[in-house]
Amino acid sequence: MQNKTTTVGTLAQTRAKSTRVAATVFLLPTILLVAVYIIYPIFDTFYLSTFKWNGLNVKLMENIGLNNWKFLLTDKLFWGSFAHNLVVMVCSILLQLPIGFLLATFLDALNKKKLGGAFKTIWFLPNLMSSVAIAFLFTYALATNGGIFSSLATLINGKRTTIDLLGRAPHALFTIIGIMAWQYTPFYMVYFIAGYNNIDVSLYESAIIAGATRGQYIRKIAIPMMGPIFKTACTMSLIGSLKYFDLIWNMTQGGPNYSTELMATYMYKLSFNQFNMGYGSCVAAGMFILITAIALLFQKVFVVKEDY
Amino acid sequence: MKKLVSLVLALMMLLGMMSLATAEGKNIPTLTTEPMTILLWDIATEEPTKGIQEDAVARFMADYPNIKVEQVHLQNDNYKQQLVIAMSSGAAPNMYIHWGGGPMAEYYKSGFVNDITEMFAKYDHPDYFDAAIAQASYQGKLLALPFGGLSGCALFYNKTIFAECGIEVPTTIDELEAACEVLKANGYVPFALANGSKWTGSMYYMYLVARHSGNEQFDAAYSQANGGTFTSEAFVWAADKIQDWVRKGYFPDGVNSLSTDDGQDRQLMYDGTCAMMLHGSWQVRSMRTDSVEWYEENIDIMPFPKDAEAEARGVDQHVEVGTAIGNGFSFNCFNEDGSVNQPMLDACYVLATQYYNDSIYNDKQMASGTIPSIKGYEQLVEEPTNKKVVDIFFNASNVQLWYDQYLPASVTEVHKNSMIELFGLTKDGAGIGADHDAAMQAALAE
Amino acid sequence: MSTIRKAAEKPVADEYRGSKVKSTIAWTFAWIFALFQVVLALFPFIFMLINSFRKQFDMLRQGVFHLPDPWYFNNYVEVVTNGFFGYFLRSVIVVAVSLVLLLAIASCAAYPLSRMEFKLRALLYAGIVACMSVPMHVTLIPVFKLTQSMNLYDKLWSLVGPYVTFALPMSVFILVAFMKTIPKELEEAAEIDGCNRFNNFTLLILPLAKSGLSTLAIYNGVSMWNEFAFANTLIINPGNKTLPLALGQFKGEHSLDIPIMLAVLTLSALPMIILFIIFQDKLVKGMMAGAVKG
Repeated sequence: MQNKTTTVGTLAQTRAKSTRVAATVFLLPTILLVAVYIIYPIFDTFYLSTFKWNGLNVKLMENIGLNNWKFLLTDKLFWGSFAHNLVVMVCSILLQLPIGFLLATFLDALNKKKLGGAFKTIWFLPNLMSSVAIAFLFTYALATNGGIFSSLATLINGKRTTIDLLGRAPHALFTIIGIMAWQYTPFYMVYFIAGYNNIDVSLYESAIIAGATRGQYIRKIAIPMMGPIFKTACTMSLIGSLKYFDLIWNMTQGGPNYSTELMATYMYKLSFNQFNMGYGSCVAAGMFILITAIALLFQKVFVVKEDY
Repeated sequence: MKKLVSLVLALMMLLGMMSLATAEGKNIPTLTTEPMTILLWDIATEEPTKGIQEDAVARFMADYPNIKVEQVHLQNDNYKQQLVIAMSSGAAPNMYIHWGGGPMAEYYKSGFVNDITEMFAKYDHPDYFDAAIAQASYQGKLLALPFGGLSGCALFYNKTIFAECGIEVPTTIDELEAACEVLKANGYVPFALANGSKWTGSMYYMYLVARHSGNEQFDAAYSQANGGTFTSEAFVWAADKIQDWVRKGYFPDGVNSLSTDDGQDRQLMYDGTCAMMLHGSWQVRSMRTDSVEWYEENIDIMPFPKDAEAEARGVDQHVEVGTAIGNGFSFNCFNEDGSVNQPMLDACYVLATQYYNDSIYNDKQMASGTIPSIKGYEQLVEEPTNKKVVDIFFNASNVQLWYDQYLPASVTEVHKNSMIELFGLTKDGAGIGADHDAAMQAALAE
Repeated sequence: MSTIRKAAEKPVADEYRGSKVKSTIAWTFAWIFALFQVVLALFPFIFMLINSFRKQFDMLRQGVFHLPDPWYFNNYVEVVTNGFFGYFLRSVIVVAVSLVLLLAIASCAAYPLSRMEFKLRALLYAGIVACMSVPMHVTLIPVFKLTQSMNLYDKLWSLVGPYVTFALPMSVFILVAFMKTIPKELEEAAEIDGCNRFNNFTLLILPLAKSGLSTLAIYNGVSMWNEFAFANTLIINPGNKTLPLALGQFKGEHSLDIPIMLAVLTLSALPMIILFIIFQDKLVKGMMAGAVKG
């Protein structure tokens, strides 16, 4: 909070000091909680990544230096999972954000409280359901026996036709991406509605008075104003996709043939199912480095005009 | 009349067991009179299992008021993960359920399992049948006490459909294939399989390997010694057979995307799409719970057909697949310094042998359709399909534990994935065999 | 939304005069899209609802897209008589406490990160992003140990710490974005009026960031309500368990009653839906009022 109007040096120093104090006070609870629950586990993960350990008895840990990391660099399953994560990331950003934004724009333009509220509530339903319910639901909806797509295809073809979306290699991943979009798009809708609401109403009024159409208002004023909001949404979708776990675990567990394996499911299987906590921690640490690097790079590259 | 005979028989059996239990010189360890708390983990989250197991603990605590058993029911889905978390944090339970096989060995090697071979020889215990003891042992040491009942692998079939198509129950694999052709001609899909769960398809693979080579080739491949390999003849033969069946349409389309957890294989039986289902014998209970009328009207069980060609070679056709241990309890009673906490181990032993696994417990198990892994109970089974399960199980020369429980955990993962490749026709028998070999060698090298 | 826009009603009518045809086409497409989304969103929910009113055998036999025949209400009786309200109440308590704490702590942290200039700001902000990147499963074992050493194991309150903390990085991140869109002239003007930073925060910034706060309340409320992994790890006594663990009661090693589980899931989702309908706008306004008074 630099104060341009202040010219006296000592006053500026006092202000800087008070800023430091205020910032510390405001940030303290967050820093404490994060240190205890997040930073400590991360250090622990890096530490464990240098051991060969089945995850059971802490007395039987064997330090193997950087061997896990060496293996990680050439681990096809890990990098394959990472590639899947990247696909999920790109598709999620391209699907969830634009659709969410269109829905929010529709509600904003519709501008009817009751009807808009009804739309919003119905559209938000997918986001209210737990992943367990969603997984179950789509297993049936996509089933080769009596599922929606197979039934439709049978109807159109006139003979028994099977559309197998979850059981084959390239299709399964994209099917899950579709379901993820179904589940998370409503969140971005709500998020962008908040973005619209955050814009000062006087801006809209003055634009209309100046003769702008609604389309022009959205393009010329609303979207640029929401720059930071878009950037945040992209970052969230990006990080969320790179550490995604839920539906994959509940639906395909990484299969068929590792085609839907993600970094998080791979790490989980190693750590908790295959008694390989040491290497599982290494995968987790590698995953953490990759995600953080991509997210921070994105912050640097994707510069938006900020009102600050 | 038949019912009366079996009732009398049951009564006699019961009396026999009760007299044994109430006999004067019950040879069990004398338990401490000091206060003690035992942490017990099981997965009995739902009735009737929950009530049966809580009752066993309650009866134990009534007899030994100084000992408190903290019985915790965990959810099956995440149970293994919870155990890892507890063990690594030094909060492992003193007595816990598992399924034997690879994980049991892992817990033992990590120092969370008491060796109870000597106690078992010294004190009274339920008269388990041999396969159960074998599956509760590792390297000749007894590490667990079974309590959850046996599960066989049963070939269910719809007798209504069989009658309608004029099919006799096949006794050989050739006859089975002939039956499948007839079923196909009549518009049925022969086998209901939901291979998305992977261990379901594994049952076909295991049984075909067992019929073709008994235990011999699997045991050799497991050790990877003396030329033993998962690419040996029986494995390739079994894989070829399965892929041939897939190509001929013996399995439902999209078999890899169906999930048994969501009941999609039972669904195929219920809606009359499929005529047969190879599955765990617990499906007797599941299907009867869903609809006992439909089950009794339509379902019967046959043994997995013989491989006539292998039988002619002298291969044992009575190796069956399943679990004799069911659920076992292992004990983790150690002092701070690593020595055995004998008083606590004694208490756990008494609880597991005299309260779990006693006649009260076992009768309740029987009533709920679960057959204890204890000699004698096979005589008491009345439900006709369960009776067949038991007959098959008790005539087995050997019971092969499910591969996905028997193999080391890292190999299990490869095995399960291989089943997807196999039924999806993306890899052949030699291919998946090589994957198994690589994983097995890596696991043995540990 | 409408309160903000009520002054704009008349100009809205004006703006279409020039390009009525174009606008009609645009609106037609928009409506088709909107209704398509309604079908997409409603269909699975109805599916869940319908299948919770039938027996498992009927569901499997008739297919899951069949209407219940006959309608079967016992699933709900079964669920409600198996301690559902206990699970429900504990979930309400945990989520409410965690949510209030989360919003308070997150907005405190977002304020200096978005509106103050100090040396470590960029680093702290990067740290927040890094914390968002942590896969939650690696924290299970450390959090378990921590909970034990704090004597919170198997207590309802053990969930509050993880719930608040794991939602914090993303919440701070979102709030920073929202607070950045508030013009800084407003704050300068307030300072000239003699407001200190604390006044600025509670009287000016928080009310203006309320749409961001409401988004956070909704998003985190839902994810806490459905949270399974921590609850399953940290709580073992049925008397302390939360709603997502209630499913386990109807699911054994080899047995699973799908319609009953759907009944549990429907009953779990309903309160969220009702809250969303009632409070989608009011929720945060109420919180604001409290914060300003306090």
